[in-house]
Amino acid sequence: MTARILFAAAIGLMATLGTVPAVADALDDIIARKTIRVAVPTDYPPFGSVGADMQPRGMDIDVANLIGEKLGVKVELVPVTAPNRVAYLQSGKTDLTISSLGKTEERAKVIDFSIAYSPFFDAVFGKKEPPVKDYADLSDKTISVTRGSMQDKELEDLAPKAVVKRFEDNNSTIAAFMSGQVEMFASGTPVAAAIKRRNPDLDLELKIVLANSPCYVGVVKGETKLLDKVNAIIREAKASGEIDRLSVKWLGAPAGELPE
Amino acid sequence: MNDFTTWDVFRNLLAAVPWTIYLSLIAFTGGAAVSLLLLCLRFAFPRGAGTPVRLYVQLFQGTPLLMQLFLVYFGLALMGVQTTPLFAASLCLSVYSSAYLTETWYGCVLAVPKGQWEASSSLGLKHWQQMLLIVLPQALRLSVPPTVGLMVQIVKNTSLASIVGFVELTRASQIIANATFEPFLAYGAVAFIYFVICFSISLCGRHLEKRIRI
Repeated sequence: MTARILFAAAIGLMATLGTVPAVADALDDIIARKTIRVAVPTDYPPFGSVGADMQPRGMDIDVANLIGEKLGVKVELVPVTAPNRVAYLQSGKTDLTISSLGKTEERAKVIDFSIAYSPFFDAVFGKKEPPVKDYADLSDKTISVTRGSMQDKELEDLAPKAVVKRFEDNNSTIAAFMSGQVEMFASGTPVAAAIKRRNPDLDLELKIVLANSPCYVGVVKGETKLLDKVNAIIREAKASGEIDRLSVKWLGAPAGELPE
Repeated sequence: MNDFTTWDVFRNLLAAVPWTIYLSLIAFTGGAAVSLLLLCLRFAFPRGAGTPVRLYVQLFQGTPLLMQLFLVYFGLALMGVQTTPLFAASLCLSVYSSAYLTETWYGCVLAVPKGQWEASSSLGLKHWQQMLLIVLPQALRLSVPPTVGLMVQIVKNTSLASIVGFVELTRASQIIANATFEPFLAYGAVAFIYFVICFSISLCGRHLEKRIRI
Protein backbone atom coordinates (compact mmCIF):
# COMPACT_ATOMS: atom_id res chain seq x y z
CA MET A 1 0.00 0.00 0.00
CA THR A 2 2.79 2.39 0.95
CA ALA A 3 4.50 1.58 -2.31
CA ARG A 4 1.35 2.51 -4.17
CA ILE A 5 1.11 5.87 -2.44
CA LEU A 6 4.78 6.53 -3.16
CA PHE A 7 4.21 5.69 -6.80
CA ALA A 8 1.30 8.05 -6.98
CA ALA A 9 3.55 10.73 -5.51
CA ALA A 10 6.33 9.96 -7.98
CA ILE A 11 3.94 10.00 -10.91
CA GLY A 12 2.54 13.29 -9.66
CA LEU A 13 6.04 14.68 -9.45
CA MET A 14 6.75 13.55 -12.97
CA ALA A 15 3.52 15.05 -14.23
CA THR A 16 4.61 18.42 -12.87
CA LEU A 17 8.02 18.03 -14.46
CA GLY A 18 6.24 17.55 -17.76
CA THR A 19 6.58 14.87 -20.40
CA VAL A 20 9.49 14.42 -22.76
CA PRO A 21 9.30 16.91 -25.59
CA ALA A 22 8.65 15.03 -28.80
CA VAL A 23 11.75 15.52 -30.88
CA ALA A 24 10.51 13.70 -33.94
CA ASP A 25 7.17 12.18 -34.79
CA ALA A 26 6.68 8.90 -32.92
CA LEU A 27 5.08 7.11 -35.85
CA ASP A 28 7.94 8.08 -38.19
CA ASP A 29 10.39 6.88 -35.53
CA ILE A 30 8.66 3.51 -35.28
CA ILE A 31 8.68 3.03 -39.03
CA ALA A 32 12.34 4.09 -39.25
CA ARG A 33 13.28 1.80 -36.34
CA LYS A 34 11.17 -1.00 -37.84
CA THR A 35 10.23 -1.81 -34.23
CA ILE A 36 7.38 -0.77 -31.98
CA ARG A 37 7.92 -1.00 -28.23
CA VAL A 38 4.79 -2.05 -26.40
CA ALA A 39 4.32 -2.29 -22.63
CA VAL A 40 2.30 -5.40 -21.80
CA PRO A 41 1.35 -7.17 -18.56
CA THR A 42 2.74 -10.58 -17.63
CA ASP A 43 0.91 -11.05 -14.36
CA TYR A 44 -2.72 -10.50 -15.21
CA PRO A 45 -4.37 -13.38 -17.00
CA PRO A 46 -6.11 -13.52 -19.40
CA PHE A 47 -4.87 -10.10 -20.60
CA GLY A 48 -1.23 -11.02 -20.16
CA SER A 49 0.54 -13.91 -18.48
CA VAL A 50 3.25 -16.38 -19.46
CA GLY A 51 3.41 -19.90 -20.83
CA ALA A 52 5.72 -22.61 -19.55
CA ASP A 53 8.45 -21.05 -21.74
CA MET A 54 8.03 -17.73 -19.80
CA GLN A 55 7.01 -15.98 -23.04
CA PRO A 56 4.19 -13.42 -22.65
CA ARG A 57 0.80 -14.30 -24.03
CA GLY A 58 -2.75 -13.08 -23.71
CA MET A 59 -5.30 -10.66 -25.10
CA ASP A 60 -3.03 -7.61 -24.74
CA ILE A 61 -0.07 -9.39 -26.33
CA ASP A 62 -2.22 -10.42 -29.31
CA VAL A 63 -3.46 -6.86 -29.75
CA ALA A 64 0.16 -5.62 -29.63
CA ASN A 65 1.15 -8.13 -32.29
CA LEU A 66 -1.85 -7.18 -34.40
CA ILE A 67 -0.84 -3.50 -34.33
CA GLY A 68 2.77 -4.38 -35.13
CA GLU A 69 1.71 -6.55 -38.02
CA LYS A 70 -0.52 -3.84 -39.52
CA LEU A 71 2.27 -1.27 -39.19
CA GLY A 72 4.66 -3.72 -40.81
CA VAL A 73 7.16 -3.49 -37.95
CA LYS A 74 8.57 -5.84 -35.35
CA VAL A 75 7.00 -5.84 -31.91
CA GLU A 76 9.23 -5.47 -28.86
CA LEU A 77 7.18 -6.53 -25.84
CA VAL A 78 8.19 -4.78 -22.62
CA PRO A 79 6.76 -6.60 -19.57
CA VAL A 80 5.40 -4.08 -17.08
CA THR A 81 3.48 -4.11 -13.83
CA ALA A 82 0.34 -2.19 -12.94
CA PRO A 83 2.17 0.55 -11.00
CA ASN A 84 4.77 1.34 -13.69
CA ARG A 85 2.80 0.79 -16.91
CA VAL A 86 1.94 4.49 -17.31
CA ALA A 87 5.45 5.61 -16.33
CA TYR A 88 6.98 3.56 -19.16
CA LEU A 89 4.85 5.44 -21.65
CA GLN A 90 5.28 8.83 -20.02
CA SER A 91 9.05 8.61 -19.97
CA GLY A 92 9.22 7.57 -23.61
CA LYS A 93 10.52 4.06 -22.86
CA THR A 94 7.68 2.50 -24.83
CA ASP A 95 5.55 3.72 -27.72
CA LEU A 96 2.32 2.11 -26.56
CA THR A 97 0.98 0.62 -23.37
CA ILE A 98 -1.50 -2.22 -23.89
CA SER A 99 -2.19 -3.38 -20.37
CA SER A 100 -5.95 -3.68 -19.78
CA LEU A 101 -5.81 0.04 -19.18
CA GLY A 102 -9.10 1.71 -18.21
CA LYS A 103 -9.72 5.35 -19.06
CA THR A 104 -9.57 7.69 -16.09
CA GLU A 105 -9.36 11.44 -15.91
CA GLU A 106 -6.03 11.34 -14.07
CA ARG A 107 -4.42 9.13 -16.68
CA ALA A 108 -5.86 11.18 -19.56
CA LYS A 109 -3.86 14.14 -18.25
CA VAL A 110 -0.52 12.45 -18.91
CA ILE A 111 -1.20 10.01 -21.76
CA ASP A 112 -3.61 9.73 -24.69
CA PHE A 113 -6.10 6.90 -25.16
CA SER A 114 -7.04 5.07 -28.33
CA ILE A 115 -10.55 3.79 -28.98
CA ALA A 116 -11.43 0.75 -26.85
CA TYR A 117 -10.00 -2.60 -27.96
CA SER A 118 -11.44 -4.94 -25.37
CA PRO A 119 -14.47 -5.21 -23.16
CA PHE A 120 -14.09 -5.41 -19.43
CA PHE A 121 -17.43 -6.20 -17.89
CA ASP A 122 -18.44 -6.24 -14.29
CA ALA A 123 -21.04 -8.98 -14.12
CA VAL A 124 -22.89 -11.49 -12.00
CA PHE A 125 -21.89 -15.12 -12.57
CA GLY A 126 -23.55 -18.32 -11.47
CA LYS A 127 -24.77 -21.79 -12.41
CA LYS A 128 -26.91 -22.26 -15.51
CA GLU A 129 -30.02 -22.47 -13.35
CA PRO A 130 -31.94 -20.35 -12.50
CA PRO A 131 -31.95 -18.02 -15.54
CA VAL A 132 -31.55 -14.29 -14.99
CA LYS A 133 -33.21 -12.04 -17.57
CA ASP A 134 -33.12 -8.71 -15.81
CA TYR A 135 -31.95 -7.20 -12.54
CA ALA A 136 -35.31 -7.97 -10.87
CA ASP A 137 -34.50 -11.69 -11.24
CA LEU A 138 -31.63 -11.18 -8.81
CA SER A 139 -34.07 -10.42 -5.99
CA ASP A 140 -33.70 -12.78 -3.01
CA LYS A 141 -30.68 -14.45 -4.59
CA THR A 142 -27.55 -14.64 -2.46
CA ILE A 143 -24.67 -13.04 -4.30
CA SER A 144 -21.10 -12.75 -3.04
CA VAL A 145 -19.16 -9.62 -3.86
CA THR A 146 -15.88 -8.05 -2.81
CA ARG A 147 -16.48 -5.34 -0.25
CA GLY A 148 -16.03 -1.83 -1.57
CA SER A 149 -15.47 -2.98 -5.15
CA MET A 150 -17.09 -1.41 -8.22
CA GLN A 151 -19.41 -4.41 -8.39
CA ASP A 152 -20.52 -3.90 -4.79
CA LYS A 153 -21.79 -0.43 -5.60
CA GLU A 154 -23.28 -1.48 -8.93
CA LEU A 155 -25.24 -4.33 -7.31
CA GLU A 156 -26.60 -1.99 -4.70
CA ASP A 157 -27.82 0.41 -7.37
CA LEU A 158 -29.11 -2.10 -9.91
CA ALA A 159 -30.41 -4.95 -7.76
CA PRO A 160 -31.27 -3.54 -4.35
CA LYS A 161 -33.34 -6.60 -3.45
CA ALA A 162 -30.53 -9.11 -3.92
CA VAL A 163 -29.07 -10.65 -0.76
CA VAL A 164 -25.50 -9.40 -0.99
CA LYS A 165 -22.76 -11.19 0.98
CA ARG A 166 -19.65 -9.07 1.14
CA PHE A 167 -16.18 -10.59 1.32
CA GLU A 168 -12.80 -9.04 1.89
CA ASP A 169 -11.11 -9.97 -1.37
CA ASN A 170 -11.68 -11.42 -4.79
CA ASN A 171 -10.51 -14.89 -3.77
CA SER A 172 -12.98 -15.16 -0.90
CA THR A 173 -15.77 -13.90 -3.14
CA ILE A 174 -15.08 -16.71 -5.58
CA ALA A 175 -14.45 -19.29 -2.88
CA ALA A 176 -17.88 -18.49 -1.42
CA PHE A 177 -19.49 -19.38 -4.73
CA MET A 178 -17.35 -22.46 -5.35
CA SER A 179 -18.13 -23.88 -1.93
CA GLY A 180 -21.86 -23.28 -2.40
CA GLN A 181 -22.20 -20.60 0.28
CA VAL A 182 -23.86 -18.28 -2.22
CA GLU A 183 -25.82 -18.81 -5.45
CA MET A 184 -23.93 -16.30 -7.55
CA PHE A 185 -20.96 -13.95 -7.40
CA ALA A 186 -20.20 -10.56 -8.89
CA SER A 187 -16.78 -9.90 -10.43
CA GLY A 188 -15.06 -9.01 -13.71
CA THR A 189 -15.47 -11.09 -16.86
CA PRO A 190 -11.72 -11.82 -17.11
CA VAL A 191 -11.76 -13.26 -13.60
CA ALA A 192 -14.58 -15.62 -14.51
CA ALA A 193 -12.85 -16.59 -17.74
CA ALA A 194 -9.70 -17.45 -15.79
CA ILE A 195 -11.69 -19.66 -13.38
CA LYS A 196 -13.39 -21.36 -16.29
CA ARG A 197 -10.02 -22.14 -17.80
CA ARG A 198 -8.81 -23.68 -14.56
CA ASN A 199 -11.98 -25.76 -14.20
CA PRO A 200 -13.41 -26.32 -17.68
CA ASP A 201 -16.18 -28.58 -16.32
CA LEU A 202 -17.44 -26.05 -13.79
CA ASP A 203 -21.10 -25.09 -14.23
CA LEU A 204 -20.47 -21.37 -14.54
CA GLU A 205 -21.93 -18.76 -16.84
CA LEU A 206 -22.43 -15.04 -17.09
CA LYS A 207 -25.86 -14.23 -15.67
CA ILE A 208 -26.13 -10.50 -16.23
CA VAL A 209 -23.79 -7.60 -16.95
CA LEU A 210 -23.56 -4.84 -14.36
CA ALA A 211 -21.31 -2.32 -16.06
CA ASN A 212 -18.77 -1.95 -18.81
CA SER A 213 -15.35 -0.34 -18.29
CA PRO A 214 -13.47 -1.30 -21.45
CA CYS A 215 -9.71 -1.33 -22.03
CA TYR A 216 -7.87 1.22 -24.13
CA VAL A 217 -4.43 1.42 -25.70
CA GLY A 218 -2.28 4.09 -24.03
CA VAL A 219 -0.35 6.32 -26.45
CA VAL A 220 2.37 8.89 -25.70
CA LYS A 221 0.70 12.27 -25.11
CA GLY A 222 0.47 14.48 -28.15
CA GLU A 223 1.46 11.87 -30.76
CA THR A 224 -1.66 12.38 -32.88
CA LYS A 225 -0.32 10.63 -35.98
CA LEU A 226 0.46 7.48 -34.02
CA LEU A 227 -2.85 7.70 -32.17
CA ASP A 228 -4.81 8.03 -35.44
CA LYS A 229 -2.95 5.09 -36.91
CA VAL A 230 -3.64 2.89 -33.85
CA ASN A 231 -7.29 3.91 -33.92
CA ALA A 232 -7.54 3.06 -37.62
CA ILE A 233 -6.01 -0.38 -36.99
CA ILE A 234 -8.39 -1.14 -34.12
CA ARG A 235 -11.37 0.10 -36.12
CA GLU A 236 -10.42 -2.15 -39.02
CA ALA A 237 -9.88 -5.12 -36.68
CA LYS A 238 -13.31 -4.55 -35.19
CA ALA A 239 -14.91 -4.45 -38.63
CA SER A 240 -13.13 -7.61 -39.78
CA GLY A 241 -14.13 -9.52 -36.65
CA GLU A 242 -10.52 -9.90 -35.49
CA ILE A 243 -11.19 -8.20 -32.15
CA ASP A 244 -14.18 -10.47 -31.57
CA ARG A 245 -12.05 -13.51 -32.38
CA LEU A 246 -9.38 -12.46 -29.85
CA SER A 247 -12.03 -11.66 -27.28
CA VAL A 248 -13.59 -15.12 -27.66
CA LYS A 249 -10.16 -16.72 -27.49
CA TRP A 250 -9.03 -14.98 -24.30
CA LEU A 251 -12.08 -13.60 -22.57
CA GLY A 252 -14.58 -16.28 -23.49
CA ALA A 253 -17.11 -13.99 -25.19
CA PRO A 254 -17.24 -11.68 -28.24
CA ALA A 255 -16.22 -8.08 -27.64
CA GLY A 256 -19.62 -6.67 -28.60
CA GLU A 257 -20.10 -2.91 -28.92
CA LEU A 258 -17.02 -1.02 -27.80
CA PRO A 259 -17.01 2.75 -27.27
CA GLU A 260 -15.06 4.86 -29.74
CA MET B 1 -3.85 -22.37 -20.26
CA ASN B 2 -2.18 -23.93 -17.30
CA ASP B 3 0.47 -26.03 -18.98
CA PHE B 4 3.05 -25.57 -16.24
CA THR B 5 4.38 -28.71 -14.64
CA THR B 6 6.02 -28.52 -11.21
CA TRP B 7 9.32 -28.92 -12.98
CA ASP B 8 8.50 -25.97 -15.25
CA VAL B 9 7.93 -23.83 -12.17
CA PHE B 10 11.32 -24.77 -10.70
CA ARG B 11 13.10 -24.58 -14.03
CA ASN B 12 11.86 -21.06 -14.73
CA LEU B 13 12.63 -19.93 -11.20
CA LEU B 14 16.16 -21.32 -11.42
CA ALA B 15 16.60 -19.49 -14.72
CA ALA B 16 15.99 -16.24 -12.83
CA VAL B 17 18.62 -17.01 -10.15
CA PRO B 18 21.60 -15.67 -12.17
CA TRP B 19 20.00 -12.19 -12.27
CA THR B 20 19.53 -12.18 -8.52
CA ILE B 21 23.14 -13.23 -7.97
CA TYR B 22 24.46 -10.85 -10.61
CA LEU B 23 22.59 -7.88 -9.16
CA SER B 24 23.73 -8.82 -5.64
CA LEU B 25 27.37 -8.93 -6.76
CA ILE B 26 27.06 -5.54 -8.45
CA ALA B 27 25.42 -4.09 -5.36
CA PHE B 28 28.05 -5.50 -3.01
CA THR B 29 31.17 -4.70 -5.02
CA GLY B 30 29.87 -1.29 -6.07
CA GLY B 31 28.71 -0.53 -2.56
CA ALA B 32 31.96 -1.71 -0.99
CA ALA B 33 34.05 0.39 -3.39
CA VAL B 34 32.05 3.54 -2.73
CA SER B 35 32.01 3.06 1.03
CA LEU B 36 35.77 2.38 1.21
CA LEU B 37 36.30 5.66 -0.61
CA LEU B 38 33.96 7.46 1.76
CA LEU B 39 35.66 5.88 4.79
CA CYS B 40 39.09 7.04 3.60
CA LEU B 41 37.71 10.55 3.17
CA ARG B 42 36.08 10.45 6.56
CA PHE B 43 39.24 9.35 8.37
CA ALA B 44 41.62 11.51 6.35
CA PHE B 45 39.56 14.69 6.72
CA PRO B 46 37.40 14.21 9.81
CA ARG B 47 36.41 17.89 9.83
CA GLY B 48 35.86 18.54 6.15
CA ALA B 49 34.37 15.22 5.03
CA GLY B 50 32.56 14.14 8.19
CA THR B 51 29.36 16.09 7.63
CA PRO B 52 28.96 15.45 3.87
CA VAL B 53 29.50 11.71 4.37
CA ARG B 54 27.00 11.65 7.22
CA LEU B 55 24.47 13.47 5.04
CA TYR B 56 25.06 11.02 2.20
CA VAL B 57 24.49 8.08 4.52
CA GLN B 58 21.34 9.60 6.00
CA LEU B 59 19.95 10.53 2.58
CA PHE B 60 20.26 7.07 1.08
CA GLN B 61 19.39 5.16 4.23
CA GLY B 62 16.40 7.35 4.73
CA THR B 63 14.78 7.02 1.30
CA PRO B 64 13.22 3.81 -0.05
CA LEU B 65 15.33 1.94 -2.59
CA LEU B 66 12.20 1.41 -4.67
CA MET B 67 11.73 5.15 -5.10
CA GLN B 68 15.42 5.67 -5.90
CA LEU B 69 15.14 3.09 -8.68
CA PHE B 70 11.91 4.58 -9.98
CA LEU B 71 13.29 8.12 -10.04
CA VAL B 72 16.61 7.19 -11.65
CA TYR B 73 15.01 5.05 -14.36
CA PHE B 74 11.81 6.96 -15.12
CA GLY B 75 12.55 10.37 -13.60
CA LEU B 76 15.79 10.92 -15.51
CA ALA B 77 14.08 9.79 -18.71
CA LEU B 78 11.47 12.49 -18.21
CA MET B 79 14.27 15.04 -18.09
CA GLY B 80 15.61 13.68 -21.35
CA VAL B 81 18.33 11.37 -19.97
CA GLN B 82 17.63 7.82 -21.07
CA THR B 83 19.19 5.20 -18.79
CA THR B 84 19.23 1.44 -19.19
CA PRO B 85 17.65 -0.76 -16.52
CA LEU B 86 21.07 -2.24 -15.74
CA PHE B 87 22.56 1.23 -15.20
CA ALA B 88 19.70 2.33 -12.96
CA ALA B 89 19.80 -0.87 -10.92
CA SER B 90 23.61 -0.87 -10.57
CA LEU B 91 23.70 2.76 -9.53
CA CYS B 92 20.87 2.60 -7.01
CA LEU B 93 21.80 -0.75 -5.49
CA SER B 94 25.45 0.34 -5.10
CA VAL B 95 24.59 3.68 -3.58
CA TYR B 96 22.00 2.17 -1.26
CA SER B 97 24.29 -0.59 0.01
CA SER B 98 27.23 1.81 0.27
CA ALA B 99 25.25 3.94 2.72
CA TYR B 100 24.79 0.96 5.04
CA LEU B 101 28.31 -0.40 4.57
CA THR B 102 29.91 3.00 5.26
CA GLU B 103 28.10 3.40 8.54
CA THR B 104 28.74 -0.19 9.60
CA TRP B 105 32.44 -0.17 8.78
CA TYR B 106 32.92 3.25 10.37
CA GLY B 107 31.42 1.80 13.52
CA CYS B 108 33.77 -1.19 13.34
CA VAL B 109 36.82 1.08 13.29
CA LEU B 110 35.49 3.08 16.24
CA ALA B 111 34.79 -0.14 18.11
CA VAL B 112 38.49 -1.01 18.35
CA PRO B 113 39.34 -0.30 22.01
CA LYS B 114 41.01 3.01 22.77
CA GLY B 115 43.82 1.16 24.56
CA GLN B 116 45.01 -0.16 21.21
CA TRP B 117 45.52 3.40 19.98
CA GLU B 118 47.27 4.39 23.18
CA ALA B 119 49.52 1.32 23.23
CA SER B 120 50.57 1.74 19.60
CA SER B 121 51.16 5.42 20.17
CA SER B 122 53.45 4.59 23.11
CA LEU B 123 55.43 2.37 20.74
CA GLY B 124 56.12 5.46 18.67
CA LEU B 125 53.94 4.58 15.66
CA LYS B 126 52.70 7.39 13.45
CA HIS B 127 48.98 7.92 12.99
CA TRP B 128 48.79 6.17 9.61
CA GLN B 129 50.87 3.26 10.97
CA GLN B 130 48.54 2.90 13.94
CA MET B 131 45.59 2.87 11.57
CA LEU B 132 47.02 0.46 9.02
CA LEU B 133 48.93 -1.93 11.27
CA ILE B 134 47.00 -1.96 14.54
CA VAL B 135 43.43 -0.71 14.18
CA LEU B 136 42.29 -1.76 10.69
CA PRO B 137 43.21 -5.47 11.04
CA GLN B 138 41.16 -5.62 14.22
CA ALA B 139 38.32 -3.63 12.68
CA LEU B 140 38.30 -6.07 9.77
CA ARG B 141 37.64 -8.96 12.14
CA LEU B 142 34.89 -7.05 13.86
CA SER B 143 33.28 -6.20 10.54
CA VAL B 144 32.74 -9.74 9.27
CA PRO B 145 29.47 -10.59 11.06
CA PRO B 146 27.64 -7.31 10.29
CA THR B 147 28.90 -7.37 6.69
CA VAL B 148 27.54 -10.87 6.18
CA GLY B 149 24.22 -9.67 7.59
CA LEU B 150 24.19 -6.76 5.15
CA MET B 151 25.01 -9.05 2.23
CA VAL B 152 21.97 -11.16 3.03
CA GLN B 153 19.90 -7.96 3.05
CA ILE B 154 21.38 -6.94 -0.30
CA VAL B 155 20.40 -10.27 -1.86
CA LYS B 156 16.83 -9.73 -0.79
CA ASN B 157 16.86 -6.06 -1.86
CA THR B 158 17.62 -7.04 -5.45
CA SER B 159 13.98 -8.08 -5.78
CA LEU B 160 13.14 -4.36 -6.01
CA ALA B 161 14.97 -4.17 -9.35
CA SER B 162 11.88 -5.73 -10.91
CA ILE B 163 10.38 -2.23 -10.98
CA VAL B 164 12.72 -1.32 -13.84
CA GLY B 165 12.00 -4.51 -15.73
CA PHE B 166 14.38 -7.11 -14.33
CA VAL B 167 12.89 -10.58 -14.14
CA GLU B 168 14.83 -11.81 -11.12
CA LEU B 169 13.65 -14.40 -8.60
CA THR B 170 10.81 -12.52 -6.96
CA ARG B 171 9.39 -11.15 -10.18
CA ALA B 172 9.64 -14.56 -11.85
CA SER B 173 7.71 -16.12 -8.99
CA GLN B 174 4.97 -13.49 -9.23
CA ILE B 175 4.60 -14.05 -12.94
CA ILE B 176 4.51 -17.82 -12.49
CA ALA B 177 2.04 -17.64 -9.59
CA ASN B 178 -0.32 -15.60 -11.74
CA ALA B 179 0.00 -17.94 -14.71
CA THR B 180 -0.42 -21.18 -12.77
CA PHE B 181 -2.85 -20.08 -10.06
CA GLU B 182 -0.65 -21.99 -7.64
CA PRO B 183 0.81 -19.25 -5.47
CA PHE B 184 1.89 -21.60 -2.70
CA LEU B 185 4.04 -23.66 -5.02
CA ALA B 186 5.68 -20.67 -6.71
CA TYR B 187 6.23 -18.57 -3.58
CA GLY B 188 7.22 -21.59 -1.50
CA ALA B 189 9.81 -22.57 -4.08
CA VAL B 190 11.19 -19.06 -4.33
CA ALA B 191 11.45 -18.72 -0.55
CA PHE B 192 13.43 -21.95 -0.51
CA ILE B 193 15.81 -20.71 -3.23
CA TYR B 194 16.41 -17.43 -1.37
CA PHE B 195 17.08 -19.38 1.78
CA VAL B 196 19.66 -21.55 0.02
CA ILE B 197 21.45 -18.47 -1.32
CA CYS B 198 21.38 -16.54 1.95
CA PHE B 199 22.25 -19.53 4.11
CA SER B 200 25.31 -20.27 1.95
CA ILE B 201 26.44 -16.69 2.46
CA SER B 202 26.02 -17.06 6.22
CA LEU B 203 27.98 -20.34 6.20
CA CYS B 204 30.82 -18.71 4.25
CA GLY B 205 30.76 -15.84 6.73
CA ARG B 206 31.02 -18.18 9.68
CA HIS B 207 33.90 -20.02 8.04
CA LEU B 208 35.68 -16.73 7.39
CA GLU B 209 35.13 -15.61 10.97
CA LYS B 210 36.84 -18.79 12.25
CA ARG B 211 39.76 -18.41 9.89
CA ILE B 212 40.60 -14.86 10.88
CA ARG B 213 40.07 -15.28 14.59
CA ILE B 214 43.22 -14.57 16.57
